[in-house]
Amino acid sequence: MKIKLIAFTTILLISTCIVFISCTKESAMASNTSAGKGGSLTRFTITGNFLYAVDNHFLYAYSLINPSKPEKVYTSPLNFDIETIYPYNNYLFLGTKTGLYIYSIDTASKPRLIGEAKHARSCDPVVANDSVAFVTLKGSNNCGPAISGLYIHDIKNITQPILKKTVELPNPVGLGLQDSILYVCCGNAGLKVFNVNNPYSPGLISTQSDGVYIDVIPYNGTLICFVEDGIILYDITKPAIPLMVKKITN
Amino acid sequence: MKYALLLLSTILLCSCWKPYRTDFPTQPPERKVWGSKPVYTAESVAKKIGYLSQKQPLVQAGNIYAFENYIFQVDVGRGIHVIDNSKPSIADRIGFITITGCQQISIKGKYLYTNSFADLVTLDISDPTNMLEVSRVIMAFPELAGSYPLVQPAESGYYICPRMDSVVVGWVKDSIYTSCYKN
Repeated sequence: MKIKLIAFTTILLISTCIVFISCTKESAMASNTSAGKGGSLTRFTITGNFLYAVDNHFLYAYSLINPSKPEKVYTSPLNFDIETIYPYNNYLFLGTKTGLYIYSIDTASKPRLIGEAKHARSCDPVVANDSVAFVTLKGSNNCGPAISGLYIHDIKNITQPILKKTVELPNPVGLGLQDSILYVCCGNAGLKVFNVNNPYSPGLISTQSDGVYIDVIPYNGTLICFVEDGIILYDITKPAIPLMVKKITN
Repeated sequence: MKYALLLLSTILLCSCWKPYRTDFPTQPPERKVWGSKPVYTAESVAKKIGYLSQKQPLVQAGNIYAFENYIFQVDVGRGIHVIDNSKPSIADRIGFITITGCQQISIKGKYLYTNSFADLVTLDISDPTNMLEVSRVIMAFPELAGSYPLVQPAESGYYICPRMDSVVVGWVKDSIYTSCYKN
């Protein structure tokens, strides 16, 4: 009886440890502390051992196997005005003036175009998770005539993104996703906080108006906002309720 | 009187003598206007990386990057501000990496990757008080060579289109021949 109890307890302990370790590993990869986190308006991104960069017409891949000496391994001329790049899993999402383009980096040194969702001429940063891509489009003199707003695409079949929902918004620019909360910067119209638990019926929870918002990074319980005159930090221990903590402006 | 006449005839004859110019422009010269003139610096000087270990004022807010207890913010065309975020309620800028032509940023491990005009620059940031350039890929992004913010003056009007073999670090007002116009 005693032996059975000891055996049972040992098995229970071991399985708990295994579950704990695998869960920790997953969250470590998710927060990716050795690489930090960039915003959605970036043209440089690092995933795995590669730096991917875009200028207006080219996608470049640089190997960081020797991290102090990046080495170019790939250049691809693209036929569109590229604005931004966003990595998720084995994909790169390129925001361009004419559409969202999805590249596979199964072979990290050779990005391969696998899907696209064209749109009217505009500027468009993007963030994504396993099944949804959130894109903001801004129509303007510089960007193009599209209707400004949040465009939500179903990417369960990643080679064929389907536009499922549009939310008209004023001046949307950068955006950030934390679990089922989406933060969308709308310049001087504020920072919009959406519940996207049901991604194709986003619910606006609140609008923060502490600055002119351009981009955001949710990072380790803090929402780091790039505003026109610097940075604003919010505590997002409760992601749906940002609480302003500090302004770092001149 | 004789000499006066001689002098006068010499002067008059000189006025007839026009050396033949082969380089005379076939169109009328561009007119002079009040506009902006670029101030250049040598590429080697402009591309030097430095580090200031005091808080610097922000001129043009740019891309942000979060890394462990730090936040980095690009000051477009000028460099990167380093912010200590170990305690968010008192987070503030603690230093500035001077990188002319800087626009982008990404970090992995102890290396920060950025651009200085068209070059891809790698910095070792393991010592936050002494950040050093460790390598540079010249002309990594040729399309960014002329797309740094100071390639045009801030205000609209006439300006001299800058040479591509030099780096513009500022603009001054002067009387210039019309060259380029910014709306």
